[in-house]
Amino acid sequence: MSDGQRSPTSNGQIVVSGLTKQYKSVRAVDNLSFTVAPGRVTGFLGPNGAGKTTTLRMLLNLVTPSGGSATIGGHRYADLTDPLRHVGAVLEASSAHKGRTGINHLRVICAAAGLPKQRAEEALALVGLTPAAKRKFKGYSLGMKQRLGIAAAMLGDPRVLILDEPANGLDPEGIRWMRGFLKGLAHEGRTVLVSSHLLSEMQLLADDVVIIAAGKLVRQGPVDQVLGSMAQSGRVRVRTPQAEELVAVLREQSATVETDEHGVLLVSGADASTIGRAALAAKVELHELTPERPDLERVFLELTAGKAGIR
Amino acid sequence: MNLVRSELLKIRSTNTWWVFGLISLPLWVLTLLFNWLQTDAMSGLESGDVPADQAAQFEALQQADSLAANIYTNGQFFGLLIVMLLGIIVVTSEFFHQTVTTTFLTVPHRTAVMTAKLIAAAILAMVFWLVTTALNLVFGPLVLNASDVPLQLDSGGVWRAIGLNALAYLLWSVLGVGIGVLIRSQIGATVTGILLYLGGSIGAVAVLSILASRYGDWINNLQLVVPSLASSLMVSGTEIPGSPPQWAGAAVLIGYAVVAGVIGTLTIRRRDIS
Repeated sequence: MSDGQRSPTSNGQIVVSGLTKQYKSVRAVDNLSFTVAPGRVTGFLGPNGAGKTTTLRMLLNLVTPSGGSATIGGHRYADLTDPLRHVGAVLEASSAHKGRTGINHLRVICAAAGLPKQRAEEALALVGLTPAAKRKFKGYSLGMKQRLGIAAAMLGDPRVLILDEPANGLDPEGIRWMRGFLKGLAHEGRTVLVSSHLLSEMQLLADDVVIIAAGKLVRQGPVDQVLGSMAQSGRVRVRTPQAEELVAVLREQSATVETDEHGVLLVSGADASTIGRAALAAKVELHELTPERPDLERVFLELTAGKAGIR
Repeated sequence: MNLVRSELLKIRSTNTWWVFGLISLPLWVLTLLFNWLQTDAMSGLESGDVPADQAAQFEALQQADSLAANIYTNGQFFGLLIVMLLGIIVVTSEFFHQTVTTTFLTVPHRTAVMTAKLIAAAILAMVFWLVTTALNLVFGPLVLNASDVPLQLDSGGVWRAIGLNALAYLLWSVLGVGIGVLIRSQIGATVTGILLYLGGSIGAVAVLSILASRYGDWINNLQLVVPSLASSLMVSGTEIPGSPPQWAGAAVLIGYAVVAGVIGTLTIRRRDIS
């Protein structure tokens, strides 16, 4: 086992620092810096072409950076002695030989990584693919391919997991399974970095987010904090048959009230309890009183607006 | 060692190797029949039957050693092609099926991966050589008997030819790996390899003989530069008058294999995998 695994710096933290990739005419990743903490699921978000995949591939030594560095637990990926025992990665679902069986795909990896052969069976069982072990890869559904990719990543029981668009092509059942699986791994103290553009899914899955656009960092932090930082947070939806009376009362309390096309009041400048109390005092009947949760999609679109994905 | 095991498992766990084996078998039978006819014809001819300027070459080829060596290395023409294609596929299938990402994630040291691939392709080539040679040693004597040529199994020249045949299989598989790295497209690499092998021998012979008739016979020595001609020179059972020596063919082919292997390795070390 490598020194790296035991050393105190190797806590599974991912540090990206000043990372840059210049292709002929395009700067795919531009002086990007962020960190990913262990024990949490971090969503890596960005429009198509934002540089997510390039960043992950530089992190994993598949693409050579033009500048900057990316380390996992303090080490460059290329310097890890037994990389699969530290880091598991799922980069593309279709990456197995079409004519090879699922179990043989994993055995090939075990052989190269010096892992015991039975890890292949164990990893297949972990993702629920045991019944399809001896089927050829070309007969797998997209969901099964994703599961096989995850099984391959779990072969070395790594501390750090990196997944590129793992939810692509999964059915609702598969997505729910993936969510539970990844949250479970983070709960065990592992680092989980997941790139995606499925924002509603990320809102359910991620603890932290790193948002990039046009190769640059846009925002990083815990999901709640990123959501809370946005302008449209703090509105409250109110439905009432006595709209005019309530609006009058609320305006006295210097709240701003808009009305949407269905007659629902959207109140800012007063929280739900204030509105409820005011309605009770004015004897106004309420049918709905909902603090509007800002959603990741809206925040994301606002943050990345004007930074087109096609460059 | 783990890596070589992994590479061999990659080959074993797909159809490729036995499909190629199945293709090789009828080709081997075909060349055996052809060589039988040739041996029969050659052993029956008198040197007076050929034009005087070719008599020396003819006599060299007509020797029992040469005829026997030709039979014991039977199947070589297609066998070399097959092991080169296998070498190509060892590399290009990784790009074709996008497994190269997984391979380099498992082992970031790309030089080690390439070395393992070269060794695995070489082992595979040796298996093909071993099987064809075994078949040749079983069926070759029948052909030689039928043509009244002594078996020559106690002749050093014959065993040297068999050994050099092994070297040829080895070198062509290494060349295949090199071609596979340089041309990632499975189809592109396969077509290039076949052209290099077949077109190389036929086309180059034609071009060289035209040039030789204009600029003099020394041009004929350039046939050494063509890999497939160097290879056939290397494995010819005996020294043929008027041709460059056998060892020169071997040296050229080894040179090509080393260059292909080294360029292939250096290329893959730098390449972005995306």
